[in-house]
Parts: sequence; C-alpha cells; structure tokens
Amino acid sequence: MRVKSMKTMVLQVLPNFALARRAVNFPRLFISYHSNLQIQAIQVLLVREQRTFLQVSTIKQSALSPLMHGVKRIRYTQEALEALKQREKAKLKEFQALTEEVLTKKKAGDYSKDAFDSTTRLLRVNPEFYTVWNYRRNIMIHGIFPQCSPAEINDQLSEDLSMTTAFLKQHPKVYWIWNHRRWCLENVPDGPSEDDINADSRNFHAWDYRRYVLATMPVPRTELSELAFTTKKIEANFSNFSAWHQRSKLLSNLWESGKLDSSKSKEDEFELVLNAIYTDPEDQSAWIYHAWLIGNGNDASILNREIKAIQELLDEQPDSKWCMESLVRYKRMLLKNHGGSLSLDEKQRLYEECSSLLTQLQEVDPQRRRRYQEIAESLEH
Amino acid sequence: MTSVPKLNIPLHVKYIQSLGENKDDLTYHMTAHLRMNAIYWGLTALIVMGHKDALNREEMIDFVLSCWDDQAGGFGAHPDHDAHIHSTLSAIQILTMQGALDKLDIPRVTKFILSLQQPSGVFAGDSFGEIDNRFTFCAINALGLLGQLDKLDVEKTVSYIRKCKNFDGGYGAVIGAESHAAMVYPSLGTLSILNRMDEVDVDTLGWWLAERQLPNGGLNGRPEKLEDVCYSFWVLSSLSMIRKLHWIDADKLIAFILSAEDSEHGGLADRPGDQPDVFHTVFGVAGLSLLGYPGLVDIDPVYCMPAELIESMGLRTGWEALPRKAFTS
Repeated sequence: MRVKSMKTMVLQVLPNFALARRAVNFPRLFISYHSNLQIQAIQVLLVREQRTFLQVSTIKQSALSPLMHGVKRIRYTQEALEALKQREKAKLKEFQALTEEVLTKKKAGDYSKDAFDSTTRLLRVNPEFYTVWNYRRNIMIHGIFPQCSPAEINDQLSEDLSMTTAFLKQHPKVYWIWNHRRWCLENVPDGPSEDDINADSRNFHAWDYRRYVLATMPVPRTELSELAFTTKKIEANFSNFSAWHQRSKLLSNLWESGKLDSSKSKEDEFELVLNAIYTDPEDQSAWIYHAWLIGNGNDASILNREIKAIQELLDEQPDSKWCMESLVRYKRMLLKNHGGSLSLDEKQRLYEECSSLLTQLQEVDPQRRRRYQEIAESLEH
Repeated sequence: MTSVPKLNIPLHVKYIQSLGENKDDLTYHMTAHLRMNAIYWGLTALIVMGHKDALNREEMIDFVLSCWDDQAGGFGAHPDHDAHIHSTLSAIQILTMQGALDKLDIPRVTKFILSLQQPSGVFAGDSFGEIDNRFTFCAINALGLLGQLDKLDVEKTVSYIRKCKNFDGGYGAVIGAESHAAMVYPSLGTLSILNRMDEVDVDTLGWWLAERQLPNGGLNGRPEKLEDVCYSFWVLSSLSMIRKLHWIDADKLIAFILSAEDSEHGGLADRPGDQPDVFHTVFGVAGLSLLGYPGLVDIDPVYCMPAELIESMGLRTGWEALPRKAFTS
C-alpha cells in the first residue's frame, strides 16, 4: 500500500522543523531510531536543511583564483595577508621550480623515467595542469611503453588509476583527472576491467565515467545489474535525479531489446516513482521521471489512471505546484491525443480544469507565471 | 527596481584590474592553466560594464600571441602550455574584441580546430581526445568568429548533439549523459550558430530551464541542486536562444546576482558570502545584461561577446533578451 503523504507523516514524527534542523548535526545517531520509510522521509528534510545550515568547508584560497565554487569569503587584514604570503612563499618557490623543470624537459623531448617522475610530483601539487597530463601520456607512449611487456603496461596504467583515485578524493570535479583515467582504460592492453565503479550520488563526471566504463568493458556488466544499482541509489535518496536519468536510459534499452517486458516493467516504474512523489511532492526529480514514463501520452488508460492518482495527492496537498503542473500536462495530452473519443462535455470540462489549474499555478508559483499564462492562452485555440 | 542595490561598476572594474597584479601569490600561479580564459572573462565583463579600456590592449594582445603553440597550431592557456580548444577559443574571442584578428594565422588555426572533430561528429579538446559538447561549441564558435564555417560538416556536427538530447528537452555533455544547464548552453549555442534551432524541443526545454529558478531567485544547473551565479548565464542564454527569457522571474534573479557581490573588494561570487572570482563576475554581469539591467552594454548570449560587435560581423542569430530598463529614482 502506498504511504500517505510522507511530509504529513514526518511532521507527526517530528512535531516541528526545528527538531529536524537540530538533527542535522547528528544525522546518523538520529535516524538509527527510525524505520526505513521514516528515514527516507527524514533524509528528504535533512538534505533540504543542510543546504541552509551546513557550512561549506572552507578551503584556503586567495582572491586570485579565476574560478571557484563554494569557497567562503574570508576577510584578511593586510598583515594577515602578508603573513599568509610569507608562509606560502616556500611553496610558491617549490612549485615554480618544479614547473620550470617539467616544462624544460618537455621542450627538450625528454621521455625518460626521471621526467615521468617529475610529472607525478607536479601533478600531485596541481592536478589541473593539463599540459603536464599531456606530457605524462607522451612519456608513456614514446618513452616507457615501447620497452614494456603488456603486463608491465598494465601495471603502469593500474598505478595511474590508483594515483588518480587518490587525486579524485581531494578534487572530485577536476575534468583532467577523469580524462586521464579514461585514457588509461583505453590503453590497457586487455581493455577496462575495473570493478570499483561506484558513482558518487550526483557527480556527473562519475556518472559519465561509469557509463563509459560499462560500455567499454570486454565482458559487459548486464544492464539489469546496473538497473539494480540505480534502484539502490534511488532508494537511498529519491532526489537523486542522476540515478533516475541513468534508469531511464537503461530501461529504454531493456524495453527495446525485449530483455524486460515493457508493459509490466512500466507498471513497476509507475509504482516506484509514485512512492517517491508521495514521499515528497515538491521534489522535481520524481516528477520529471514520471513525465518520461508518460512519454507522449499515447495510452489513454494510463493517463487517466495517473491523473486520478495525482488528483488524490492534490486533494491532500491542495497547494502542490507539481501536482497541478503535471495535471495540466497530462490533461492537455488527453485533449490532444484522445480528443476524438471524448464527448464535447468531457472536453469542455478538461479545458476548464486546465484553465483553473493554470490560474492557481500563477498564484502558487509566481516566478513562472508567464509560462502558465502562455499555456492558458494556447488552450483557447 | 528601487529596492535592488546598484551594481557597483567602478569597484568591479578595479577588481578586474587588480587580478594581474599580485604575481607573488601561489594561487595565481597554480591557476595558470586558466589564464587565457580568465583574460577573456575579464575583458568581456569590462565591456559589458562599459569599461573596455580598463586593461591595456597591447599587453593583452602580446600575452595572447605569446601563448601560441606552434607545434599544434592553436593557443594554450599560458606560454609553454599545450594548445587546447578552450584556450584557442578564448584567444580568438580576445583578438576579435580587440580588433586584432589580423595577427592570427587563420588557415592554420582553422586546420587545428577542424582536426579535433571525431568521426561521431563531436569535437575533442585536444589531441588526447577528451570529448564533449563544450568542445564542439568552442570549435563552432571559433569557426564562426573566423568566418570559416563553410569548411565544417554541419550535419555530422548536429547529429552528435541530437543524440545527446534527453527526454526533459535538455542536453548532456556526451551521449547518455544527464541534462545539465552548463551543457545545454553549448549545445544550443552550436545549433544556433549553425542555424539548426529546429532541432530543439522548445516547450519541454523551456519548462526544464524555467524550473532551474529556486525560491531565492537564483538558478541551479540540474534538478535538486544548489543555485549558482554562473547559471545565470548558462540558463539565461539558453532561454534567450529559445526566446523564453520571460518564463522566469527577472527581478528576483537580478536581486540574487547582486547579493553575490563582494561590496568591499569587488567581483561576484557563486553565491552570497563566497569568495568572488572573474568567472562568476563575467557570467553574473552578462546575466544582468540579458535581464535588461540598466546601464549595461548588450551581450550576445550565443557568443558571450558584445552584441553590437557580433551583429556587425553578420553573426547575429534569432535570440531575444529582455529590453534594457532605465534606472528609477
């Protein structure tokens, strides 16, 4: 049985949001007292609250980086800034000397092991130095690999894979590191064989890399086991749109190839996504996935059934924007695709319902009111 | 607009001018791989704020030319760094804005750019072959500015982007990837330059883009993610290319962008209270320009360069920005 709106339930578990907020500080401790379903609902709140209350970790970075994300502004006095510069002086000198050494070797076409080791040292300090990654690969291709057996090449590439794994723990969003991993895999004599392909929840680099590895493995992992992976991710966090997205790609393939019975599987998906929607009707990830399942809305019985389910939720949560938005979307599909089998009265009723929902949407979601107005205007034609 | 604080243009101009000064700073050297891009960001921000001459033109051109990688036939981000499509585009953009394209070996750099196209139609960033739609856009944008689009296989290019389109109307970086506003912009930019906006599902994409606006007025890049000033440009430019900029609340977004201002030292950050940088400064002011914020110069959302210049080069596409507002007292 589907749970009643989870938000209502959470508010019963937690008489006020303040408690949930306090729980942010002890999430693990806190959720251990509750059932799985409650945990899911509480996590929804925690994720939202964390955005407001958790401090982004402060990385000490001066004002001179041209591109930063989530680095808190720190006010330095002139003296403090000077002191910082003094402390960094040695580091700067070392970095400049190493840069000079590597670029000189590069210019000289030095493809020795010694040059290779200096790239390791420099990349450890600055993994965004893409020229040095290029140089490192050139050393491997032209200097090291020609004298290596396939097994030794394998070992070297494995070493680079573990080195970059360590780098990614510190710099999960640096394109150049992901790029180097991809290159390593492409150059492994027997093709990629990584077992440890576990994606971070929303890091698109990790997901892209995962898709890449899965697609190029000599013995491909089955799409069904990958589907199970996305189920796990979604169950851990309904808001993880990256996992919903991956799921939509996998299911399209599985349905097309006939490895899964599409109508049966679709029913399971509707059940899953409606659970997510009922858990948190404000989470757009699930609604977007729901819209994908509906597709062009060619099946009138599915459309009518889903409209009914959403209407029930709207009755319970009368100001739910996403319920209204989706009802308009699906009712317009009924009119457009199945208008021929509707009576004039039924059509008129649908038009009026859409129009009234769009008026309400302009009130509950004023930021996007112009869009709702345009849709309302298009209804009249 | 009366309640909205005013963009402190003189302070931001000073901030951008100061960026090249502290050469004894570690971070400055650690980010050398972004130098060429940073100069493009700084120059564009200055032009949008009406202060093109705040940085020395000759020095800038000299720096750009010193980054030429003669082995590859493109520009690196810094002298002695390898050529890459992103720094090559920034170099071409800077030279275009400074009216110095005559310093460039156009056939040579065109050859470099075209050499990066893969059999699938997507472009690689450099010879090592990292692929994604950002690089395709860098290539198409550069070829457009150089007047070399006739040498491109348009259908091959478009066919790859078509395969990156998702059911939400958006585009990912590569085939199979999740829609991301920072990838929608280059995909749409490419289609716009190649006059293939008919590929775009405007209603669905417009819906997805409009839903990027959060209650605080800021925009995020994907569902259930945090707002960030740079999305003011990725999302707004995309909305203006499909002519749906009015589908979000402009005043609230303007207020959000301005709240990310460092009112003491200048510059804009990703969000309020964070450290400003030149990247968020340019995409913040470019966003403000598209929203019709008073006193700014019009920006072309496709090329992210002054609209007047792009128009004079005959490269204007069918985008629409909001009309420029006047200051109210």
